[in-house]
Amino acid sequence: MAVRQPRARDFVRLKVRMLGNGLRSQTMRTVGFVLGAVGGLVGGGLALTGLALTSAASDQTGYVVAVLAGTMVVLGWTLVPLLFFGVDETLDPARFALLPIRRGVLARGMLAAAFVGVPPVVTLVATMGLVIAAGLRFGPVAAAAALVGTVAGLSLGIVASRALTSAFAALLRSRRMRDLAAVLMSLLATSIAPLQWTISAAAGSGSMAQAAGVARVLAWTPFGAAYALPYDVAIGRWDLACARVAIVLGSVVLLLWWWAHTLESAMYASSSGGTARSGAGSGGAVADLMPGWLRPLVRPGPYGAILARELRLWWRDGRRRAGLVSIVVASLVLPVAISFSGRGGGTPGVSRGALAITGFIIGAAMAGAMAGVLLCNQFAYDGSAFASHLLSRVKGALDLRARATALALLVLPAQVLVVTAVCVVTGARSYLPLGLGVLAATVGVGLGVAAIVSVIAPFALPQNANPFATNSGGGSVKGLLGLLALAVTLLLSAPVAIGAILLHSAGSAWLILVVGAAYGLLAHRLATYIAGDVLDHRGPQVLAAVMPRRG
Amino acid sequence: MVDGETTAPVMPALALRGLTKRFDSKVAVAGIDLDVPAGSFFGLLGPNGAGKTTTLSMAVGVLRPDAGTAFVLGHDVWSDPAEAKRRLGVLPDEGHMFDRLSGTELLAFTGLLRGMEPTQIDARARDLLDVLGLADAGRTLVVDYSSGMKKKIGLACALLHAPRLLVLDEPFEAVDPVSAALIRDILQRYVHTGGTVIFSSHVMEVVEKLCTHVAILADGAVKAAGTLDVVRAGRDLEEVFVEVVGGRIATGQELSWL
Repeated sequence: MAVRQPRARDFVRLKVRMLGNGLRSQTMRTVGFVLGAVGGLVGGGLALTGLALTSAASDQTGYVVAVLAGTMVVLGWTLVPLLFFGVDETLDPARFALLPIRRGVLARGMLAAAFVGVPPVVTLVATMGLVIAAGLRFGPVAAAAALVGTVAGLSLGIVASRALTSAFAALLRSRRMRDLAAVLMSLLATSIAPLQWTISAAAGSGSMAQAAGVARVLAWTPFGAAYALPYDVAIGRWDLACARVAIVLGSVVLLLWWWAHTLESAMYASSSGGTARSGAGSGGAVADLMPGWLRPLVRPGPYGAILARELRLWWRDGRRRAGLVSIVVASLVLPVAISFSGRGGGTPGVSRGALAITGFIIGAAMAGAMAGVLLCNQFAYDGSAFASHLLSRVKGALDLRARATALALLVLPAQVLVVTAVCVVTGARSYLPLGLGVLAATVGVGLGVAAIVSVIAPFALPQNANPFATNSGGGSVKGLLGLLALAVTLLLSAPVAIGAILLHSAGSAWLILVVGAAYGLLAHRLATYIAGDVLDHRGPQVLAAVMPRRG
Repeated sequence: MVDGETTAPVMPALALRGLTKRFDSKVAVAGIDLDVPAGSFFGLLGPNGAGKTTTLSMAVGVLRPDAGTAFVLGHDVWSDPAEAKRRLGVLPDEGHMFDRLSGTELLAFTGLLRGMEPTQIDARARDLLDVLGLADAGRTLVVDYSSGMKKKIGLACALLHAPRLLVLDEPFEAVDPVSAALIRDILQRYVHTGGTVIFSSHVMEVVEKLCTHVAILADGAVKAAGTLDVVRAGRDLEEVFVEVVGGRIATGQELSWL
């Protein structure tokens, strides 16, 4: 019997219906969704206006802005899901495993459905500014070309985000590939740095020619090609325009093929968590749980148990591991990238080695603040297993403290190392106590903010093979919580950072280290105390919120 | 409907009083009163969606009821949780454990979380793993266990602190006959030594074979409760169950295309 294959339209309709059902009768989620949508549209509108206004600038500036902004969009779509939001998996490919749908049809349908949602619409609105600018500058034909380019660019970004996250999910599932995945991830994240460097260069004086050079190169890569289209058309080089379209479409097709491929393996993959280390160690159950180095430091009890469990699960749970790897890599790359892009105003590469204090401090602060993002929804990692905490009446504050300590033990060494390395490599050793002080303050404040966010706004993670998946609709708004927590953390630790910048030459570097550490510790204690009290009273509600809904 | 008057004023092991829970607009549990006598082997029967899990979750203090409360050996689960939870062991539904820990790690974690002494945890964990036939699987992650093994490690966690009352949600669901027999034996031994067991199920044979008392739950309310013989009243338990719950029987006219 012939079965009609579903059309892309059917997938889109399914997605819209699922988003709608997700919002129905859930006031908080609806409010969140509306706020996110309105905020996104306002932001998108501002970007649109800004980009449209560039039509008043010179052609070269317009070209540079278009290509760089376009590259940012595509690169952002590619990389941001790995760090913050996760990809929208409202339509879980695994759900289609039992249906007789061909791979190509499924991939096309999923792609079409991926355009439904707040982030794609906002991106589309924002980049429409480029279309308007092209229209004002060169007339309707160029505007049409810009429209084609913008849509093609967004498609590329969406497909890239899908393909990359599925591929990473597959990589992180297999144990052998884990380390390779970490390296790949760091390479990807590092690719943000040169871009940032170019932008800061362009922003600096008299380096527009340099920026234009970079833009011309980017315009031949898949990232920027789509956005250079109107400029080719305007000067009548249809051959160049066709070549660029070919680059973008080729990339889309290639990524789509790759994605369809990983989709198929994801559909049938069962994510086994890898087995526990099978060493000898017959020292009893407690010795099994608490590693040898930990036992002398922490008394075996509820605190030690949670701490030890967290340390083990950060690596064993695929979702946690994905988050941990991303955040550690980001906090390694950020200080380096920001410190170096911030130095020697406008002529990167030839500055005389003096590390700019502002860039360095901002880098350290960003790195430290990243840690908290991981814990903003910490109870969701437990899911229904959190019930065992309630059953044994663990004190909320103790629970939160153990979780924060475990994460700090995992990320702090890497962060201290990179801050130290930056100082040593640039010869700015006197900055080291400043960097460490700011790091301590932001880590402490970040974990504190996360503790509060996690007890106030917990939400269930989808039961899904893809560690980057979020149940979107509400998901993109929930993803914003992490970003919001990051912003609040930076704001709250600003006094220490500003102090460090202002006092860096006053010979009081060690004072900043002490003050920063005390500030972080105190902020964390205070936040844990408050959040712990909330958790003691709202434990069952938190459990109910993080329980995965049964299909 | 309460059956505790055989030995005058004995305190019930578990007493539910007016437990009510509403999800959005749907009433899941509509004011349940139930006494589980100390020393009884109590079966909580009900079709899917009857509110068994919801009731037990509220009884053990992991789901906050909209109204009513529960007493474990006289201690209010919601106002005096420390005392109540010390006397309580719970086998949660599958997946309600930290399944990325190995069996021994999970036992150690559970024990430490309850504030037990490490030496005691080690000794009891060894005993439990031995009896439950999990000694070899101690180092495998619980997520890779079979359903039967998961139930058994859950039971071990529930028994570790030697509670006086065991609350088990579907302990025989998806368990192979060999494991089921072992779990049954352990539970029976536990009741013989003075413990109390209440478990939910929809398998009549198991309940008929094991239980001294049963309650039938449907649409969030207790439809029948008492000793097994009283509820059965000389009939087959399945017959009583279908009648009380109000199921339908296929006549053979439907699905003629099959």
